[in-house]
Amino acid sequence: MDEGTEHAEESGAVVERTEREFPSWERIKESELFVIGVTTLVVAIFPWVFADAPVISGVLNGYRDLATLMLIWGIFAMGFNLLLGYTGLLSFGHAAFWGGAAYAAGVFSSQVSSSPLLIILAGTVFAALLAWILGFISLRRGGIYFAILTLAFGQMAYYLALSPLSEITNGENGFTAVEIGPLLGTFDLRYPVPVLDGLLGTWKYVLVGVMTILCVAAAYRILLSPYGMVFRAIRENEQRAEFVGLNVWRYKLMAFIISGAFAGIAGSLFTIHGAYVPLQSLYWTASGEVVIMAVLGGVGSLFGPLLGAGLYLYVENIISGVQKLTLPFTGPNEWIQLTSEPVVLIEGFGAYWHLILGLVFVAVIVLFPRGIWGLLEDIVARVRSTGGDR
Amino acid sequence: MSLVAEVTRVLVNGLQQGAIYVLVAIGLSIILGTLKFVNFAHGALYLIGTYAGMLITLNVQLTGGKLMDWGYTELGLGWGFLPALILVPILVFGVGIVMERFVARPFYDRPDTDQILLTFGLAIVIQEAFKILFGGQSYNFARPAWASGPVAVPIIGSFPQWRLYVLGITTALVIGVYLLIEYTDFGLVVRAGTRDAEMVQLLGIKITRPYLMVFGVGAALAGVAGVVGGPLYAVNPNIGTEILVPAFLVVVIGGVGSITGAVLGGILIGEVLAILVAVAPQWSQVGIYVLAAIVLLTRPQGLLGDEEVVP
Repeated sequence: MDEGTEHAEESGAVVERTEREFPSWERIKESELFVIGVTTLVVAIFPWVFADAPVISGVLNGYRDLATLMLIWGIFAMGFNLLLGYTGLLSFGHAAFWGGAAYAAGVFSSQVSSSPLLIILAGTVFAALLAWILGFISLRRGGIYFAILTLAFGQMAYYLALSPLSEITNGENGFTAVEIGPLLGTFDLRYPVPVLDGLLGTWKYVLVGVMTILCVAAAYRILLSPYGMVFRAIRENEQRAEFVGLNVWRYKLMAFIISGAFAGIAGSLFTIHGAYVPLQSLYWTASGEVVIMAVLGGVGSLFGPLLGAGLYLYVENIISGVQKLTLPFTGPNEWIQLTSEPVVLIEGFGAYWHLILGLVFVAVIVLFPRGIWGLLEDIVARVRSTGGDR
Repeated sequence: MSLVAEVTRVLVNGLQQGAIYVLVAIGLSIILGTLKFVNFAHGALYLIGTYAGMLITLNVQLTGGKLMDWGYTELGLGWGFLPALILVPILVFGVGIVMERFVARPFYDRPDTDQILLTFGLAIVIQEAFKILFGGQSYNFARPAWASGPVAVPIIGSFPQWRLYVLGITTALVIGVYLLIEYTDFGLVVRAGTRDAEMVQLLGIKITRPYLMVFGVGAALAGVAGVVGGPLYAVNPNIGTEILVPAFLVVVIGGVGSITGAVLGGILIGEVLAILVAVAPQWSQVGIYVLAAIVLLTRPQGLLGDEEVVP
């Protein structure tokens, strides 16, 4: 008899109980309804907690428009992660789909219809078709070359929009003639939601929130399906997947197209959100940003990239405005005050935010390849396992 | 000006444009081919080379950034261009060695994507550090006095002298590297490593030092490219990421690990750019990507790439 079983016999009762409890909890946690339910709940209370809740919001310093933007980039990062986290393909050209969809949505809104849902549809279809073409070319080479090629063809889209197509895209000034009509012909996106406006804010947030929930549901459904299983098989061992008889190339292309479509939804929402398409949305730094978001949050998990997107935008928009990084609760403070003079850690902190984010990014890659979400999962697992031992 | 002169001028311009790409791309190509390491921070080495070259060559009046806040209004040695051309490669060679030892080596066994992400992160950190120290604005890296004016060239007529020097320096360097790779024992290991790194190790060759050297030489070339190319463009913290994409295209077009391929790819891209700038300027930037797409669709391994090297 080895040590493990001996241990189990000694504390048999505990093990039995946890075995009875954990699988059911795991099953609930994994169920589609639960995931979508929790997502809906979080999306519904997020802007209120972020911008208007007592105490928390005072500390967070958030504002509602940023909450909307976080969800939009969250969709983008989630779609990016479907490719990187589940198929193992690192694309540096996703700005082409994000910006391409944003332009397509903008042009569609000014030329065809200003209905938000149709705008999203147009942008998404455009991004998916573009992903088909770029994927077809880029997937001719795997691994590192794929990253380089997507980067190159993403830049090609940028330069196309910059000058040869400037009559459509308005060149470096960005596309300004965006027109956003009412949602479903009745709800003006700028107006607050009746009754629930304290919680949700405007109809625009409702639209973005519902799209986020739909995207989470779709991504989760894909990952649970046999299709998602194949994606993961390709990431683990492409050759083996090939030998089993799967057409790896076709699955990769499909993953690329799906990922492009998610970027397209996000890009269209970005146009609706800002009623403007900046040329920068096509530049490869936009691809770089989504890479950072996804990796920082954690690739290979459903919610990691959403977390990463929120974190990135938070640092970019709020932390970067902080001029002095002080120890918490020192100096004049609304809630608790430990010392009368603030203890300054870094002077002129705002200027350093990009550098610090870069250093954190490098640290995450070296130390926690599964990102912050993976780190949180590890901590929870650790806490639960020590709890079980007792 | 006659048509012949005009065409020749455009072609020489293209050669000069391509020369910088060649210098950056050779380093990328041999590191990628031999070490199987993708260096997204290669542009950052070019950036280091440019700033270091500018500071060795000139007395630079700082116009922003933390260094100025700390009281340094003027920085630089003012030693002139030739010392920079000798010192910068040595400096960036050192940076490359450190990078191989502490950045690349721990990541040889990690997935490709992790290597890319790491070097991408590193590129951001280096770029941001320069932005903080020197400010985000552009500096003027003046051409050396002895090469600043135009010069009379047969057929073309008057031509910016510096561009001819760029061509000359690049040609000399490329020939030097070519000889190093083709005719030395070090080069033999590099070439063998490009074909089959595992076999080289099995043959009992200690690859640690050649790997260090490859990375160092590649980095030094990017550094020199920074010095040589610096006076051609405005100097700001974004030049590193701006040169990275065309340099990668050169590698892809020419074929990984091939020096002649990098030269051919660089010249092709330079010429396409120069010709399109003269004929249809709107399409100049798009043209090089179209060229890359065409090459890739017809010859995925690159023009002079080896089929077997393709992973």
